[in-house]
Amino acid sequence: MIASVLDGIVLGLQFGLLAAGLTLVYGLGGVLNLAYGQMAVISAMATLFAINAEVPILPAVGIGLAVGVVLGLIFDQTILRPIYRLQGEARVLLSLLLTLGVAFIVDGYLTWRYPTEGLTLRIGGGPIEILGVPMRRGSIVASAITLVALGTLFAFFRGTTLGRAVRSVIEDEEGARLVGIDPQRMLRIILALSGLLAALVAVTQSMVRPVTVSAGFGITVFALIVTVVGGLGSVTGAMLAGIILGIVSSIAASSIGTFLSLIILLGAAAVTILIRPSGLLGVRE
Amino acid sequence: MTERFTEATGTALIGGTEERASRSLRALSLPVALIGALLALAPLWLGDSRVQMGVAVIGLTFACYAIGFNLIFGSTGQLFLCVGALAGLGGYGGAILADTVGLPIIVSIVVATLVASLVGGLLSWIAVRRSLGVIFTGIITLIFALAFENLLLGLGGVSGGESGFPISSGADSFLRRQIPPYYVMLGLVLVFLLAHGLLRRSHVGWAFRALRDDEVAAELAGVDVARYRVYAALIGAAMLGMAGATYAFTEGRISPTTFGFAQVDVVVLVMLAFGGIGTLFGPILGAITFTALDEVLIELGQLRVLVYGILVIVLFLWIPRGVIPTLQGLLRRRRAS
Amino acid sequence: MMLEVSGLAAGYQGADVIRDVDFRVESGEAVMIIGSNGAGKTTLFRSVLGLLAPSSGAVRFEGSDIVGMPAQRIARLGVSFVPAERHLFPRMTVQENLSLGAYPDRPDTETMTLVMDLFPRLAERRRQHAGTMSGGEQQMLAMGRALMAKPRLLVLDEPTTGLAPKLAAEAYQALRVLRGRGLTVLVAEQQVPLAMAFSDRGYVLENGMIELEGTSEALSMNPEVRRSYLGVT
Repeated sequence: MIASVLDGIVLGLQFGLLAAGLTLVYGLGGVLNLAYGQMAVISAMATLFAINAEVPILPAVGIGLAVGVVLGLIFDQTILRPIYRLQGEARVLLSLLLTLGVAFIVDGYLTWRYPTEGLTLRIGGGPIEILGVPMRRGSIVASAITLVALGTLFAFFRGTTLGRAVRSVIEDEEGARLVGIDPQRMLRIILALSGLLAALVAVTQSMVRPVTVSAGFGITVFALIVTVVGGLGSVTGAMLAGIILGIVSSIAASSIGTFLSLIILLGAAAVTILIRPSGLLGVRE
Repeated sequence: MTERFTEATGTALIGGTEERASRSLRALSLPVALIGALLALAPLWLGDSRVQMGVAVIGLTFACYAIGFNLIFGSTGQLFLCVGALAGLGGYGGAILADTVGLPIIVSIVVATLVASLVGGLLSWIAVRRSLGVIFTGIITLIFALAFENLLLGLGGVSGGESGFPISSGADSFLRRQIPPYYVMLGLVLVFLLAHGLLRRSHVGWAFRALRDDEVAAELAGVDVARYRVYAALIGAAMLGMAGATYAFTEGRISPTTFGFAQVDVVVLVMLAFGGIGTLFGPILGAITFTALDEVLIELGQLRVLVYGILVIVLFLWIPRGVIPTLQGLLRRRRAS
Repeated sequence: MMLEVSGLAAGYQGADVIRDVDFRVESGEAVMIIGSNGAGKTTLFRSVLGLLAPSSGAVRFEGSDIVGMPAQRIARLGVSFVPAERHLFPRMTVQENLSLGAYPDRPDTETMTLVMDLFPRLAERRRQHAGTMSGGEQQMLAMGRALMAKPRLLVLDEPTTGLAPKLAAEAYQALRVLRGRGLTVLVAEQQVPLAMAFSDRGYVLENGMIELEGTSEALSMNPEVRRSYLGVT
């Protein structure tokens, strides 16, 4: 039981960090990025190619993260341009459809060109004991990195002027403009950040299990579910939802098998949406 | 370009185009008969190849799916991302009822259709009760679709799991031969088209248009928006279930990927968006076009998905209302000038 | 001349709500724009301050052309706008709201002290979330936030709407203190007596056009104004 809960926390932290990227972009820009999973996969592939090219692990990971940031910026400059001209529901719908198209383009190409590739980062060393349960070293390292990342995120949003400026756009876009904050510039920063987070999750995930080329849509679906349950636009919500859903999923998986536990996860998400559509801590409707 | 999308969003994505609903029944039955006649000729040149006939049957099945989805989304703006799952309820439901429970095929199909219809109606009712907007309806139905897919995979004992469900009922009937299934599905397509057409001309269709164009105004005019939404879902889901069940019996073997989200919903969405959401013949145009396109691109294998991605982007940036409404608009402008 | 607006027209979806509007605000003045509900006061301010693109006309701030400039750039030029809806950041604290007012700079302790002195209630509620405050407190916070940018021109759109008379008077008292420190103020008001007592000059905006202008004293003696806005028969 404790093992399941710990596994759930490991999983949940990843869910949370992953969803943070998606929820920030929605909260700030009213844009739903369905190519999010593909961004993670591309970054993972970049790291893989770097490693295959004899680049040492840390710089290779650095390359992967940089690719993530660049992808976010490219998104902002290209596919999101026509979407910015719309507002509200029309914007969400068009962003959904266009990013879906992009997701197909990337997924189609990658699964055709590199059908069997996957990134795996092996973390050497034996298992580490937590609360009497031996945990794989890779899981521990992944969780530690995720916690540091989440901590940094919080420090950024609470403690820095730029971070507060970003939050203010999520709170009230017009109010932000009135104090001199440019929402477009903030969105650009957040998109770069979401790309970075996607890359970071891909890299840390690969320490636990291989991140394959076809994992894109699955990643997006998980991120979407956690985002919606946590509340669109709330990073704290995403984290909370991530951990809860991670633990639920893990406990369910150990008792009734992967497929049915996924149903529990989906069911939990559906119930949350129905009872509280704005999510646990949501902002926008 | 984006003005078109905004205008289109107001009508097409969340509604549909205004087609002059002619009161004459002939005006409906004539084009339907024409399409029926044309499509009936297809086996003449495809009939020799089992593979090609198989593809044609799938194409007609998707046309049925598209008509059902059009009824739910195009008529009443409910973004149901569980088209495959509802069809799967029909398919798996029918298969289980016939093979495992032992009911006759026709009865199995009818019962499975009812089940799919009720589930669709339930989803709609839930969405209405909780006032879920388009996006959240999409998310909830997507969750249902994913849950259903996982249910099929998880309950292997009942459903055959990942490897699928071989259907022995009707194995030696006309349903499994090369050409009859084509006409069976074609029959369904024509029946669905007529049903949709008649619905449009009825007071139900009027209510659909009213609530699609302006929900608040419709409520004030006395249209019970909730009720008509559920009606649309009940009928649309019934179509999906019936198509799924019938297809299952002609195919002889179904698996979770037969009715998966990526395999069905995405394709149907693109087909309908291409043809024209809310139009009567849009689903047919979309289904034929994309089935043919898929065959043409078969060499590309996985790369086809890339092509579809490009098409989705091009479609929603430049022809958001779909081909039929765009052509109608062009014709109207030409007539006016 | 601090703010000069000429021939301004603006509206929504092709239909102009305001037409051919001219007005000016000199440095150090207090100017009011009065008019009934729907006259176009809010549309006017939004189009002058970059929240709405005008269909025609010119706007100059301290000599530079600012027409068509987005609101976030205008905000950095020395103009602060307090809109009718306030647009505070509800889940951020009073402190955070005020700090952001100074964006992109760090909040200035001197200015912060000034704001706290002007609005003692804000000082008591530093850590409270803006969304949980009362209407009057929110208005003060909105004004305080606008002041944190150390503007030379403060524009307020109906600052006393929904405020109890005591709080409304306090708000104008604060504005008087600020004027004493050299701040130029432009205010749109429905509660005309308050604005009149405070301003040097005023414009009457009705049906999207400037109908009257003059000193506050002259306007207060104008029979039309007295009848329509001061309730004197």
